[in-house]
Amino acid sequence: MLLFGSIAAYVGTGDASGGRQASGYLLAGIILWHVIYQSQIAVSTGLLEETWTRNILNVMVTPVREVEYVGGVALFGMVKLAIGVSVMTISALAFFSFDVSELGIGLVPIGAVLLVVGWAISFFVMGLVLRFGSGAEALAWGVMFVVMPLSGVFYPIDALPGVLQPVAKVLPTTPAFEALRGLVDGDPLDWGLLAWSAAGAVALVALSAAFLVRMLAVFRRRGYITRYT
Amino acid sequence: MRDTDRAHSSVGDTEVVLEARGLVKDYRRARAVDGVGITVHAGERVALLGPNGAGKTTTLFMILGVVAPDEGSVEILGRSLERHRSRAAEQVGFAAGYLPLTERMRVREYLRMFGQIYGLVDPTAQIEAGLERFRISHLAGAMGTELSSGQRTLVGIVRATLHRPRLLVLDEPTASLDPDVAMRVRTGLREISEEEGTALLVTSHDMSEVGRLCERVVFLSQGRVVADGTPEQVARDHGSGDLEGVFLPARGAPRGDRRPTDGPPDMSTTANVEPTTPVLLAGPAASWLRMRAIAPSRLRPDS
Repeated sequence: MLLFGSIAAYVGTGDASGGRQASGYLLAGIILWHVIYQSQIAVSTGLLEETWTRNILNVMVTPVREVEYVGGVALFGMVKLAIGVSVMTISALAFFSFDVSELGIGLVPIGAVLLVVGWAISFFVMGLVLRFGSGAEALAWGVMFVVMPLSGVFYPIDALPGVLQPVAKVLPTTPAFEALRGLVDGDPLDWGLLAWSAAGAVALVALSAAFLVRMLAVFRRRGYITRYT
Repeated sequence: MRDTDRAHSSVGDTEVVLEARGLVKDYRRARAVDGVGITVHAGERVALLGPNGAGKTTTLFMILGVVAPDEGSVEILGRSLERHRSRAAEQVGFAAGYLPLTERMRVREYLRMFGQIYGLVDPTAQIEAGLERFRISHLAGAMGTELSSGQRTLVGIVRATLHRPRLLVLDEPTASLDPDVAMRVRTGLREISEEEGTALLVTSHDMSEVGRLCERVVFLSQGRVVADGTPEQVARDHGSGDLEGVFLPARGAPRGDRRPTDGPPDMSTTANVEPTTPVLLAGPAASWLRMRAIAPSRLRPDS
């Protein structure tokens, strides 16, 4: 928040209208980015902590179903997310006089879509950790820094190199952040963009959940539990 | 009547708690488990024995549902583990010396959490009874980080028994315990088995412990069941006075060998190597060679 807020403050001192607009994109973008980042990290590290502490066998022999485990970790992650976003929102207001609530109720559905996308990415990461073990841990953090520039969190994707723009267009995060910039510009929420983003998020969740189930089956079939005993 | 028949007939009319049939598990380098079948009845205390690499832990993991068998099936109280893993797991407890405790919780909190996972709304009474049974009530307020490895093992056993499982699976339960504490564990486990009808399936390298705790021994070698009966019978079939001798296969496989096929001779196995082992290789060197011979490879995947 401090980093991006300071950049926003600096950019905002430039061209009177464009600078203010860019600083709004930066501040709103980083707060909403925190939603997807935190939701992804919370769920991914939930499993990673079980592997770090070698507790995964303890979990797997209990009657807890896989969906219950993931649901519990996601729910716990939402608590951490609520705390994190609250701190960022208050910091933005206190340090940079940016009141994100002025963007209106449209923030809520955008945040919800980003939350779901974060979970979907975490399912991919969990699946890779189950399949490849500790070698895939870096993805828990690293993958988000690939998604971030491609999603146009702080800028329209027209600013991306041409070769990357098709990739950006298929990400469900891209229309969500585009809708967010519309709110920063003072426009009403673009429900079309949001619907497109939500459909992409649902498809991504379905795909990633299927991948996770598949990787769990591989984990059991190949006896990878012995990595953690 | 053979000892095996007696051991089985004494439990023949009791409920089958565990039915594992034809379990096969291949890892990339070798076959870890090769057609293992085990039936355990309520209240029965069964030891799963074998040298390193014999397939004991892989078999346990298949029975616990954390490793999927390539062939065969596992049923817990008639429920297929493959189709009803969660319901079946409700009836099973598992403890092992290598299982960690959550370090940032007190023992009481840790046990409460696991009790609730197993459906106990308020497990306070079960926690107190379990801690008392294994004489570690004084550890209830201790943090996980404050416990010795032996104390962690004891807490793990209490945790595994909180929900009064019908089947208690224990992998090397006394491996890190002092003799007096190990005896306390054996006493506690016998009580649980006799008072609650809990079936025990135990792996151990301590043959004296097995003799004192278990009434039946299933001996694995190279992924196969090669002996199944009372400790006395398994020792006798092996031509040994006690179970310790079963680990030293100087006279070949036990007569109860149930290998399904007679393939080409395996030059890495005991039967082929042992006769050429110089008699003067005494002490640790001889033991090491014998263990290497009976367990020619470690069968863990990717370890």
